[in-house]
Amino acid sequence: MTGTGAAAPRTGWPAISGVVRRLPEYLTIWVPLLLSAAHLVSFSLWTIWISFTPSTLVPVSGWVGLRNYTAVLASRNWKIAFDNLLLFGSAFVLLSLVTGLILAILLDQRIRGENVLRSIFLYPLAVSFVVTGTVWSWLLNPGLGIQKLVHDLGWTSFRFDWLVDRDMAIWTIVIAAIWQSSGFAMALFLAGLRSVDADIIKAAQIDGAGPIRTYWHVILPTLWPITITVVVVQLQFAISAFDLVRALTNGGPGIATQLPALVVYDLMFQRSQLGRGAAAAVLMLLILLAVLLPYAAWRYVQRRRATHA
Amino acid sequence: MPITITRRRLLAGSAAALALPAFARAQSAVKPRLTAISQWSAGSDGAAITALGKKFEEKGGIWQHSPVPGFTTEMMNKLRAQIIAGDPPACSQLKGPEIAAWSKIAPTVNLDALVAAAGYEKVVAPDLARLHKPEGKWISLPLQIYSTNMLFLSKRAMDKAKADKIPVTWADFNDLAEKMKAGGITYPIANGGTRPDDGQKFEASFAGISPASYRAAIMNLDKKALEGPEIKAAFAQVRKIANWMDPNVGAQPYATNLKRFVDGDMGMMIQGGWAQGVLRNAGFKFDDFIIAPGPSDNSRPVFLLNADAFIFWQRKEPDLQAGQTLMAQLVMDPAIQTMYSQITGSIPVRTDVDLSGDGWSDGQRRTAAALKDAVANNQAVLSLAHNMAQENGLTAAMIDVLTEYVKNKTITPEQAVTRLAEAVEGSR
Amino acid sequence: MRDRTFAPSRILIYLLVSLFAAAYLAPLAVVVLNSLRTNQEIAQASMIGWPKQWAWSNYLAAWSGFCVAETCAGIRPYMLNSALVTIPATIFSTMLGAIAGYAVSLWRFRGDNWIYGIVTLGLFLPQQMRLLPWTIVLRDTGLINTLTGLVLIHTIQGLSFTTLFCRNYYIAIPHELIRAARIDGAGFFRIFWRIILPLSAPILIVTVIWQFTHIWNEFLYGVTFTTGQQQPVTAALIALSAAIADIPQHGVQSAAVIIAALPTLLIYLLGGRYFVRGLTAGAVK
Repeated sequence: MTGTGAAAPRTGWPAISGVVRRLPEYLTIWVPLLLSAAHLVSFSLWTIWISFTPSTLVPVSGWVGLRNYTAVLASRNWKIAFDNLLLFGSAFVLLSLVTGLILAILLDQRIRGENVLRSIFLYPLAVSFVVTGTVWSWLLNPGLGIQKLVHDLGWTSFRFDWLVDRDMAIWTIVIAAIWQSSGFAMALFLAGLRSVDADIIKAAQIDGAGPIRTYWHVILPTLWPITITVVVVQLQFAISAFDLVRALTNGGPGIATQLPALVVYDLMFQRSQLGRGAAAAVLMLLILLAVLLPYAAWRYVQRRRATHA
Repeated sequence: MPITITRRRLLAGSAAALALPAFARAQSAVKPRLTAISQWSAGSDGAAITALGKKFEEKGGIWQHSPVPGFTTEMMNKLRAQIIAGDPPACSQLKGPEIAAWSKIAPTVNLDALVAAAGYEKVVAPDLARLHKPEGKWISLPLQIYSTNMLFLSKRAMDKAKADKIPVTWADFNDLAEKMKAGGITYPIANGGTRPDDGQKFEASFAGISPASYRAAIMNLDKKALEGPEIKAAFAQVRKIANWMDPNVGAQPYATNLKRFVDGDMGMMIQGGWAQGVLRNAGFKFDDFIIAPGPSDNSRPVFLLNADAFIFWQRKEPDLQAGQTLMAQLVMDPAIQTMYSQITGSIPVRTDVDLSGDGWSDGQRRTAAALKDAVANNQAVLSLAHNMAQENGLTAAMIDVLTEYVKNKTITPEQAVTRLAEAVEGSR
Repeated sequence: MRDRTFAPSRILIYLLVSLFAAAYLAPLAVVVLNSLRTNQEIAQASMIGWPKQWAWSNYLAAWSGFCVAETCAGIRPYMLNSALVTIPATIFSTMLGAIAGYAVSLWRFRGDNWIYGIVTLGLFLPQQMRLLPWTIVLRDTGLINTLTGLVLIHTIQGLSFTTLFCRNYYIAIPHELIRAARIDGAGFFRIFWRIILPLSAPILIVTVIWQFTHIWNEFLYGVTFTTGQQQPVTAALIALSAAIADIPQHGVQSAAVIIAALPTLLIYLLGGRYFVRGLTAGAVK
């Protein structure tokens, strides 16, 4: 019944009287959507335009060709930020998925205090990024936080100084970010786990499958669609993680944890180099498109396949 | 959407500053009003600007100060938004070469008449005055001065090191640090991990080794000075300092190490004068530490200037104009500068203020004397780490190099010199 | 529900869960403890520690005492400002997102996929890019330095998330329901009111929670587009910590952070179960 051809009736362009009658409907549908789309498109176009101008403190017109782009691409800040984004983005998305899944599976075991535990894993979502970054900058500081605590407890050769280590500092951001947002992944996965058909589980149990096999072969595969949603939301978080990084490392030690969002803000507002900042922002968008377009194309192909099936 | 700032508006800044006669008209019955933006929302800065506001109101004005929480970037964002909206505040906090840069995007007020009437120019250090007269006309007024390269010595640490001589040159300083290490102090230098902290170490080293080279290289961007032996020696000194600092500080501000400093677990601090106020507000006593000018290899004090100022934006409203006149007069008034500096721990801009009274600390007296001496010997230079020597864009690029150098022990002084020169070239 | 009779050592599960819970609670514990220590004690001891004396006065100072430059009214007025922005913006963006999601998923019209794609892509547009364009828009509509301006910004920007959530939820609604109602003569709004809205409670709760949190905790626009007394609570929090010419008042600041976080924390505590439930139907894409 559903899914064949146009399941819902298409509203075309009916006669004038029809249009007037349905004006409230058109307005309600189109005005918010158009406002949203318009602001996104126009802001993006504006930024692209600025990236080709010699703007510094305020936007000005002019044309400098690709000079802003070459300046950004040649800077150490950008190179480090780009590498960091690839590393941080993939590590964070993957690890927060896994963490959320583990938490969801644990909570799914019908343990006591499930409500309290769910709140404990969800509350970090309510905390602002600045607070998260600041508190974790204390916890992960070797002289103030976890390393000091362990030393005080007696284990003096323990080392956990990633925060001040140029090579490992990016992982501290991963830790803080996972703390902040894995609750969302957990909520989605828990919802998915709870909605798996009970009969399928019983069938697997009757077949003699142990708990791990049941999960791996029966339950987890049904979570695939949810995983996509989680990945999209976490990816968005990774790209825009700005306040958190500023509060946690401020791009340091040195410039080892620079990320594109910080570089854009730094160039645009701290260094008063709007043109270069805009160029960096456009580069950021291109990176995003490089990730999202293949996904969108894949979905498009899937839909076509579904409607032709 | 009209989104371009036209060239006419851009040039209006310089043209208007020359063309508009400053406050020649009578100010008779208009009640002065002032809209102001600053980043001073809390602490002693907040208290000082509030006190200034009260004085403004005492003289019959309406004080409308809008503090922008955060640091300078947030304040600049707000200022930029107001300017783009066509509604700049009557005055706003700004400093250093940014004053010249911002004056090009919106019209400012010509303060020459007021400055002449107050005789202000005679009592302001020339390097500083230059920053506030970008096109030869006064458009902003400095309010307070900090030195960024003061030396703080912990008395308890000095006892541990069995030392009692205050270091004067960098050689003295290095000796003292070694003595402290020998006396059991693991980290002779108490540091912070922020970008200005790293920048301060560099500029203190460089200006202390050769203020003339510092002026040529950092303030005038002279290519030869940027590759000369003095700057290399400066980086070598910074490496020594970095090796005496606690690497675990991360991105924390220097204040996290104050307790260890006072207790004698860390020996020395190279910080700005504001640290006095911080130490006092944290409950530490002045007896616990000694303040001295930063090390200088030619034994005469070198002063790294950091000065806050107010810039005045053109407004048509007569009450705002009256407010600007009143504010300018207040800012230049020695009594007001005394009040302001006593609250924040800075020293007044005016070189003719008497600091022998009760409200001043010894540290402030020593700083003011150092400033006078340094100006007389042409050893008063502008701080890089606090955005006084160059515009923000170039400063940030240079501090990138400096902070990487401090945090990464494998970078050699030669490499650092090259990178710094590249950063300067890249921003030209 | 399922019957989990097979239990790989329940002890292991409880142990793991406890470890995770401790890790997740640690930051909250640190801030709560700090909020009960005096500023001086934190400055003189360390950022992390047990209170030596219980400084309950921090909360009073944070609520109504501390000074942001000239005004010494604590955090209370800023909480009100935040509420005045967050509540309307949340309501508007949720309602508009629900209608948009409903339209895109159940009433196919020309160009719907394109519009939906653009709106969702908007999720990824970094906020730094939007600051100056919004300045220009607010200037041209005369809304700069008004709370209305902030409501406008957050409503339009929020549409990206709300449309995404609602559309993914409504897509699971069987089309027979709609078709039957249309045969009965119901139009767009009737169907929305009578059929869709009653089914929407879970996703609306999710959207409200999400939007409320994001708008309440937002800092950049709040500081740039308001002035003085209109600033939201995030601005006041930064004011507490940003003074470098002074010891950051960590005790009072921590108390202020807790107070400012209470609305969002409460929402997650009370709405948490609906959050999970609400994502159920919408989770299957």
